[in-house]
Amino acid sequence: MNKTFDRYAGFIFLMIGAAFMLESFRISKNAYGSNVGPNVFPFLLGLILVLLSIKLLLETLKYNAGHLQKKKVQYKKFLIILAAAILYAILLEPVGYVITTFLFLIIGFQTMEKGKLLKTIFIAGAFSFGVYYVYVKILQGTLPGWPIWFS
Amino acid sequence: MDVINFLLDGFQTALLPHNLLFAFVGVLIGTAVGVLPGIGPMSGVALLIPVTASMTSGLEPAEAATSSIILLAGVYYGAMYGGSTTSILLNTPGESSSVVTTLDGYQMAKQGRAGSALSIAAIGSFFAGIVALIALTLLAEPLSKIALKFGPAEYFSLMLLGLAAVSGLAGNSMTKAWMMTVFGLLLSTIGIDAVSGVARFTYDISVLYGGLEFLTIAVGVFALGEVFKAILHKEENDGEVAKVGRILPSKQELKESSGPIVRGSLLGFFVGVLPGAGATLASFFSYIFEKKISKNPEKFGKGTIAGVAAPESANNAASGGAMIPLLTLGIPGSGTTAILMGALIMYNIQPGPLLFDEHPDVAWGLIASMFIGNLMLLILNMPLVKVFAKIIETPPKYLIPIIIAISIFGVYAVQVTTFDLLLLIGCGLAGYLLASNDFPLAPLVLGLVLGPMIENNMRRALTASNGDFMVFVEKPISLVFIITALLWIIVPILLKVRGKTLVISEEA
Repeated sequence: MNKTFDRYAGFIFLMIGAAFMLESFRISKNAYGSNVGPNVFPFLLGLILVLLSIKLLLETLKYNAGHLQKKKVQYKKFLIILAAAILYAILLEPVGYVITTFLFLIIGFQTMEKGKLLKTIFIAGAFSFGVYYVYVKILQGTLPGWPIWFS
Repeated sequence: MDVINFLLDGFQTALLPHNLLFAFVGVLIGTAVGVLPGIGPMSGVALLIPVTASMTSGLEPAEAATSSIILLAGVYYGAMYGGSTTSILLNTPGESSSVVTTLDGYQMAKQGRAGSALSIAAIGSFFAGIVALIALTLLAEPLSKIALKFGPAEYFSLMLLGLAAVSGLAGNSMTKAWMMTVFGLLLSTIGIDAVSGVARFTYDISVLYGGLEFLTIAVGVFALGEVFKAILHKEENDGEVAKVGRILPSKQELKESSGPIVRGSLLGFFVGVLPGAGATLASFFSYIFEKKISKNPEKFGKGTIAGVAAPESANNAASGGAMIPLLTLGIPGSGTTAILMGALIMYNIQPGPLLFDEHPDVAWGLIASMFIGNLMLLILNMPLVKVFAKIIETPPKYLIPIIIAISIFGVYAVQVTTFDLLLLIGCGLAGYLLASNDFPLAPLVLGLVLGPMIENNMRRALTASNGDFMVFVEKPISLVFIITALLWIIVPILLKVRGKTLVISEEA
């Protein structure tokens, strides 16, 4: 068990629970025809979350300071793909589905393993055009199409 | 008998060409999900909800719900079939529910009997699936009749019991499991309150008025979370994929495995009906049970067919059994059934006792399609098992970016907001961090799905009792549920204090 993470998590959940409790005071207490307003349930849950977080924090005191075996973690690949995914999400509407998906997939494939550029371009192209064609043309769904300056 | 008529009507729905296609696609994808290590049934089902939603957009709401749920349930039980393939051929379980299958399955593969292990697993799964379905057919009506008599107080306590069971069995730390449950319930309060119409925790942000979408969170924490984990901790599959060999089992093997299959099916079914236990525990229990009653227990672990037949039957029976509380009571007993329930609610169809009255075509159509789906799986898994064995070799470098792209497409297609896409990625990060530190995710999703119902029933019960909380212990049925829930929490703690190791359910 990771002591540091559990401490931070316990603290964050404690704050979340407290925030829900405090904020539930600002919700109207009255509901027509009922003396149990919309504030009761969140308040109780916030309270339980606070108590559980305190319990977790107390439990972390008893953790053995066991040494964690370090696993090889591929931060670089992960961060590149994460950044690409966030950009993909943000640019999906302004730039359109096909272009963003195509670029995201190429970056993703190449980050996972360099090389075979032609094959990755082919798969990325097939996926992005395929999904767009099937969803928008056949199923009549809505996806952001092409950017204005493109069409 | 009424049941037969209902079932025949169900078959009429299930045999419609498009529903047959949906069932086939579902079990096919399910088998693939089962075969691929790294994608579990939970993320598989979550990932496919938006895809099916867009595929069924041209149908009437009730028909669309039937078709989607047929496909999604197909993924769920299909994964139970597929999970055995990698366990046997590669010594790597495709699902947590196939972990015990590796013990004897891989040994059999080493001895060149992989084909018979795979086919016995498929036959056992098929038999178990049919047993569970017959039980489901017979129990559905009577159980939902009983459940119809429940008032809000009983429902509230029953849902508490469901949460207690899942939280009690999930993960190593019960504190963490409960924290995730409560956090899920809290997240479900964001948005417009269904009873009073008051906006809660929205802070005038328009996207929050509808509440956090269940779908976004489920796809995020399960599918993206698993993908992120796969990128960070690259798993090398150095093991040789064993040759499948002769597929048909010998008469001797069939004879040896018939007992374990029958016992595994029954045991698995009952474990599956219990909330919180699920397929992993079922396979585990049935393996231990077979070993206990076997005349030569020393054979287990060295490639005996019973060690494959029993757990594989049990996990499939459990996945069928888990449909009972979901369909008749509206209480999901596991993470995957919680996701199925979320999918039904998305179509405005409330699982529960009224389901059989209000939407008999959905309920019976699903049950009938599961009969057909199991038959398809038997056919898919016996002759085509060599094809599926090839899927294991899919390079993750293509799979991982494509899963991210499918998640983003799916969420955007249903929600059409950039906010949900960012929430999706955020949930993926949170899901990875929480899961890798022993915070179980299934209770979170369960809390999120059950939250609105728990709250409504609690408030209705309290309104009727003028705010007196004693109403939950004054009604006898409700009291029984609450006591059971308490026992579910207290007994494991007592066992832990006495130094017993507990079996925990990873997929819960």
